[in-house]
Amino acid sequence: MPLSPAVRAEIGAVVGGRHVITEPEQLRVYDCDGLTGWRATPELVALPGSTAEVQGVVRICAREGIPFVARGAGTGLSGGALPVVEGIVIVLTRMNRILEIDLASQRVVVEPGVANLDVTRAVAADGFFYAPDPSSQQVCTIGGNVAENSGGAHCLKNGFTVNHVTGLTVVLPDGEVVELGGKALDPDGPDLLGAFIGSEGTLGIATEITLRVLRRPEAVTTQLAAFGSTDAAGEAVSAIVSAGIMPAAIEMMDRLTIVAAEQAYHPGYPEGAEALLLVELDGIAVQVDQDTAAVDRICRSCGAFEVRVARDDAERALLWLGRKGAFPAMGRMSPDYYVQDGVVPRTKLPEVLRRIGELSREHGLQVGNVFHAGDGNLHPLVLYDAAKGETEAAKALAEAILGACLDVGGSLTGEHGVGVDKACSMPKMFSERDLEAFERLRRAFDPEGIANPGKVIPTPRLCGEVPGPYRQHPLELIGLGERF
Amino acid sequence: MASVSSLEQASAALRAASAEGRTVRIGTDLDAAGMSLVLEHEAGDLTCTVEAGIRLSALAAALAPSGQRLSLDPPGDPTVGACLAGNLSGPLRHRFGAPRDLVLGVTLVLADGTIVNAGGKVVKNVAGYDLGKLVCGSRGRLAFIGRVSLRLHPAPVAAATIVVETGDPASVAAELLASQLVPSALDVLHPGRVAVLFEGGAAAVAAQVRATRALVGGDEADHSVWEESRARQAAALGRTSLAPGALRGFLEGAPAAVVRPAAGIAYLSTAARDETPEPVRLLQERVRERFDPGGVLA
Repeated sequence: MPLSPAVRAEIGAVVGGRHVITEPEQLRVYDCDGLTGWRATPELVALPGSTAEVQGVVRICAREGIPFVARGAGTGLSGGALPVVEGIVIVLTRMNRILEIDLASQRVVVEPGVANLDVTRAVAADGFFYAPDPSSQQVCTIGGNVAENSGGAHCLKNGFTVNHVTGLTVVLPDGEVVELGGKALDPDGPDLLGAFIGSEGTLGIATEITLRVLRRPEAVTTQLAAFGSTDAAGEAVSAIVSAGIMPAAIEMMDRLTIVAAEQAYHPGYPEGAEALLLVELDGIAVQVDQDTAAVDRICRSCGAFEVRVARDDAERALLWLGRKGAFPAMGRMSPDYYVQDGVVPRTKLPEVLRRIGELSREHGLQVGNVFHAGDGNLHPLVLYDAAKGETEAAKALAEAILGACLDVGGSLTGEHGVGVDKACSMPKMFSERDLEAFERLRRAFDPEGIANPGKVIPTPRLCGEVPGPYRQHPLELIGLGERF
Repeated sequence: MASVSSLEQASAALRAASAEGRTVRIGTDLDAAGMSLVLEHEAGDLTCTVEAGIRLSALAAALAPSGQRLSLDPPGDPTVGACLAGNLSGPLRHRFGAPRDLVLGVTLVLADGTIVNAGGKVVKNVAGYDLGKLVCGSRGRLAFIGRVSLRLHPAPVAAATIVVETGDPASVAAELLASQLVPSALDVLHPGRVAVLFEGGAAAVAAQVRATRALVGGDEADHSVWEESRARQAAALGRTSLAPGALRGFLEGAPAAVVRPAAGIAYLSTAARDETPEPVRLLQERVRERFDPGGVLA
């Protein structure tokens, strides 16, 4: 049902007419996020400027039964911010103020539209940083990071967004405002804060976020190790961790991504490498020195033919540029690519990488691997050409790779989120009963099902009435299925 | 008091209670004492999956041969399930977090007997809602915790404790927190002392001991101060929270306390009121009603 003129006017009165978008041309800007294969045009986009305005808009949605989707910079890779047709998008980018810097408490309070890297920029001069560092950190917003529980290369040691958010002001889907946590940790009662973070916009909208910032480590080293095979590099990852060393990050790139990154950025990666590890150690200087030497030994004993340490910050930045820019660099290698986000136990890395190689050959499509090896979070990039009709084959290969991850006890997604992209794959990881339990939590926050409907939990409309476990999905059982 | 030794038994017990309209207090009427196995421990992954009735001491003994530990040290020797349900932590909370930071996945038995899984056993996973975190602090009101997958850490090669006797513990704590030192624990034993624990390689521990003494003074001490801290925590009558930067004002108003300043948690010798804001309490109640509509879990 299209929005009535009265409702449009009412939303305009809450956020100000300038901050409502209804022109079809302009609405199209918001019709997808970083997962561009899924598109839907919303009825209206509202850009509120405060918690009270978010609350005002959500109250209208609750009263009228209008589905809403919250959105930050739109860099998400799972379609979590895909609009709902006949719904509205609430864009939080106007709420981009840093509200408080309390370094005595090591906390920073921000609005959701603040870019991830801007938090670090605000405290860097005082020797602090904000730890979660998704590759899109220049533009992705803290609100989106909260929704997705974003990680990044350095979450191996420091943890994910959920480990660095101590408090949230949340507008619930009925328009009520709650304060979860604050500057102190461990409030009484069930961990609603922990459950909210990573809920992909389905439990409400965070409008103020209290973050923990960390003291810059005394020393940092970034090491590059080149191997003759991904197997050998995978073995080195396990050997480093088993030796009791906890690097800040261990990243792996295979030959295809090394070549792409080298062509795009010239970071000086060794020639002839089938696999590279980027190992960053930080902490107390003596410990970092010892561990750097140990990582050198371990890599060489696993067959590395070159191991070197970045001499200075400039070289470190260059080595990281090749890694963090690997996805866009891949765009030069192939007209289209599809990114997966599966996780495997890190001891299974060599086995799963071999399996991905086999699957790639079986499906006749190339796969580049660039990923967070330390925590087993793979990012296989399936290369294809949509113009040649390879889209379906690419999807099939990507599905097969996810299956290989789940076969060894892994996860569908390590940091990109389920969104719409992987909702239909959820039954591969969770039983009907598990999904029904998820639905209980969702319903406690959002009884009417208006907050980002159709995401995370599979729906018949999204996934079809496929034979198998979901012919009687919980959504159907509770009568919500037809709504979507 | 009934101890169950399997998920199926817990499920049957709760199903029966639901059907008969009986209430069940988890930990009192129904406990997981018979579920105490380490189901999986892959050392190279630094993870394990255990039955929730295993005590921390038994888990520590099982992990020690691999040179690993669960970095959780609340007072006493509770079960892993009790740690989650009570969100229990000890001095190591400073660096390694609370149970909610260490739990990777859970198997729960809901009040109606349904057995559900959430999370996983890998260290990084954002598929589905994090019910493993949700049940942390739930005190048995949301579900029976049956199995838990946990993140582990390497056991430290060396450790050293420094105790600083001081009339101004707030300044000592602030100096340490603003430094680049990486303590595993930092407790203010108010009044009069700050205790700091360093762990890691021998050289790094020694370097940090020297740096600490140069920064705030103090002497190397045996580790008994941590037992004292945990004992005082266990004997505390109340717990409260404070912004870490508000430590000085807090100490001025409290006669005695054990404070973990980075986390902003204080254990008090006097009773503290529940600080949960009313809207949060109502939301907690909405969650509880969804998970236990029949009000079985008391």
